[in-house]
Amino acid sequence: MKKEKHKLTDIENKSARIGLIPIFIAALTLEATSITQYIFSQKGIREEASMRAESQMETTKARIMDVINQAEAAVRNSIWIAQWCLEVPDSMGRVTERIVKDNPVVVGSTVAFVPGYDKKHNLFAPYSYREEGTGTIKLKTLATREYDYPSQDWFTKPLELDAGYWSEPYVDDDGGDMLMTTYSLPLRDANGNVAAVITADISLDWLNDLVGNVSVYPSAFSVLLSRSGQVMVCPVETLVMNTNIQDIRASSDNESFKDLSDSMLSGKSGKIRITDRGITSQVYFSPVERTGWSMSIVIPESEIYAGIRRIGMIVKLLQILGIVMLVLILRSVAKRQQQYQKLNEQKERIQGELQIASAIQMAMIPKIYPPFPDRDDIDVFGRLTPAKEVGGDLFDFFIRDEKLFFCIGDVSGKGVPASLYMMVTKALFRTISAHEAQPSKIVSNLNDIMSEDNESNMFVTLFLGVLDLPTGRLHYCNAGHDAPFLIGNTGAGMLPVDSNLPVGVMPKWKFSQQETIIDPDTSIFLYTDGLTEAENITHGQFEMDRVKELAQKLQKDRDFSPTVIIERMTGAVHAFVGEADQSDDLTMLAIKYTKHHEEIVYQRSLTLTNDLSRIPRLNSFIDEVCEANGFDNPTTMQLNLAIEEAVVNVMNYAYPEGTKGDITIEASSDGKEMKFSITDTGKPFDPTAKPEVNITLSAEDRAIGGLGIHLIRQITDRINYERTSGHNILTLIKKLSNTQA
Amino acid sequence: MEIKVNTKDSVTTAQLIGRLDTPASQEVSGDFDNLMQFAAGTIILDCTQLEYISSSGLRLFLSLRKAAASKGGKVIVKAINNDIRSVFMMTGFLNLFEIQN
Repeated sequence: MKKEKHKLTDIENKSARIGLIPIFIAALTLEATSITQYIFSQKGIREEASMRAESQMETTKARIMDVINQAEAAVRNSIWIAQWCLEVPDSMGRVTERIVKDNPVVVGSTVAFVPGYDKKHNLFAPYSYREEGTGTIKLKTLATREYDYPSQDWFTKPLELDAGYWSEPYVDDDGGDMLMTTYSLPLRDANGNVAAVITADISLDWLNDLVGNVSVYPSAFSVLLSRSGQVMVCPVETLVMNTNIQDIRASSDNESFKDLSDSMLSGKSGKIRITDRGITSQVYFSPVERTGWSMSIVIPESEIYAGIRRIGMIVKLLQILGIVMLVLILRSVAKRQQQYQKLNEQKERIQGELQIASAIQMAMIPKIYPPFPDRDDIDVFGRLTPAKEVGGDLFDFFIRDEKLFFCIGDVSGKGVPASLYMMVTKALFRTISAHEAQPSKIVSNLNDIMSEDNESNMFVTLFLGVLDLPTGRLHYCNAGHDAPFLIGNTGAGMLPVDSNLPVGVMPKWKFSQQETIIDPDTSIFLYTDGLTEAENITHGQFEMDRVKELAQKLQKDRDFSPTVIIERMTGAVHAFVGEADQSDDLTMLAIKYTKHHEEIVYQRSLTLTNDLSRIPRLNSFIDEVCEANGFDNPTTMQLNLAIEEAVVNVMNYAYPEGTKGDITIEASSDGKEMKFSITDTGKPFDPTAKPEVNITLSAEDRAIGGLGIHLIRQITDRINYERTSGHNILTLIKKLSNTQA
Repeated sequence: MEIKVNTKDSVTTAQLIGRLDTPASQEVSGDFDNLMQFAAGTIILDCTQLEYISSSGLRLFLSLRKAAASKGGKVIVKAINNDIRSVFMMTGFLNLFEIQN
């Protein structure tokens, strides 16, 4: 028990360990999957971020270019009229006014003459501008001493380059804090000489709105730099138009920032990863054509990967949930497996025990055939085939005092309960029959014992017979069992039976006893309903008719030895049942009786009155018989003793005190055995129906009586008692000396 | 059947002479009853001349043996012949009595 328990915990540990491995593998696989997924989606997200940034930049740049183009177009489109007006400088104000008027993006415009070109004015620069607030277009001159326009960038650069030029952005001092830039283009006269610079000022205030509102990520922002590195747009307003990126670069020791700064100033496009004050960002940058500006979008990585992190968290959560569920499932599987294993072990144990029980049960059934090889008057063959490991059918037989005791029975139900009842029945049959030869008494006795406290309401149908071998007289008692067949030389038929109740149903039931003479060379065939109720696949039954038919056929063929009957019946049942499972225990018992034909070579008899004083006469008679048949002295003395005991018994018990009667002792021999028959006409008295005395007990414990029959059994080879037509006949048989071993 | 009883000190010797068959047992049952009074001492059943014994004779022996056992004496069976020895054997009496040759 202890060991078993130990084994169980072993199994538990094992299954726990077995459970951990798949969980570990599952967790590992999930983790690997999510890491791979993370890496790939990170790459994808990075690419997506870069695409979004670039497309944002392209859009922004396109819109900037739209304004720039408008401004450039405004200037270019006015060149022909400006050229035309060079001859009449005073009309130039009309030109500038028209530029401003016709182009909403242009806030101011001038045509500034190269000094000295206009003989009249030397410096001449009429300037039209849109007045803040009113929107009306005013005219003023830039040719003031304070301003000195010929030294301004917007004037000198286009002349230097001989091309259109976008000035550095600047804050207009006059018109509020407006951020401005100016496009200027050299203006040549009809002779191809540079006469003036024609310009268009545009406000850059919209730039802040356009560039500042980068909506790719919540904390993303844009920076726009001018050609020289001036910060034009930036979330930190104090830096706008106040700081040059080159100054920041000079004071920074961040290499990637320096790279970014250099790349942007040299008009490249690309992206750089910058970590600044603990925040890592991706910076995408690209130049704005013609203006020399450079735009960048800065996106913190935490925001780029925010989505993937969130998804990662959800995935992780799902993984944990999955693992937990896996653990639960595995545990329940392991538990079920454990239960199954336990059940299996139990089943195996029960199976093993059933096999042992089966072996025990089968050992209780006679199985050595022929059972009486020394006898020529009786042959028996039986077979029990249980439907399950153990069954409720039984049969048994044995010879005591020249009587064959036999029985066949069928316990209600099947399996273990039936088998227990069967064992009890069979054991009681043996015990009771050891000292009782009347079938009805044996059955009554059995019934009384078995119906007492029969809480399980089991019962057994039983046919019990006692065949007197010297005479062929069969006494039998049927307790609810099927009637046996008699198969003899004159025919085959059923033995008439009273039905009675089965054994175990009602205590104190009076079982009737029947009697018949079995003719020599007759077989008694007994069976249980496993024969008549054997079922084939379609649930058809073998039926009594088939049994009868076969019995009659065997009778006709004069082929009905016990072995043949049972083999043929078995064969017929198997052929009938076919593939169907055996539905019930199948039991058959066949007994063939052949009368012992004796040839009398010696016969003498003596009749005595029932008087003890006649014993000496008996002794001298026995002495004479023994001498005539060649028994030695010790045997003669013993036979004297046996017969004296038998006769004294009759005198004491068959003839009660005061009654008179005769006792006849007949001695006969067939040349092999000496037979002493002691016959009286007294009341029925069966000396063989006595329990054996126990000769190993101490003097104190031993009963005074019972020694007589014990001595008779010890001295003779066989004894037999039979009550026939008012006579008690006790026969003692002793083998002759010449046949003794 | 004849029984000769001779008592010396605490030892009583009973000589059994003849056949102790059923009628003889009835005959001598009184003698055996008399022997019971010596059951506290030693009783020797001298079987030198005992020819035969039946179960009723054995019953007398057993009764005496039981009396001796209850009174603290003992019964010695002396000089039984082979026929009687075989009867003693068959009935388990060899183990119940002290047998002397």
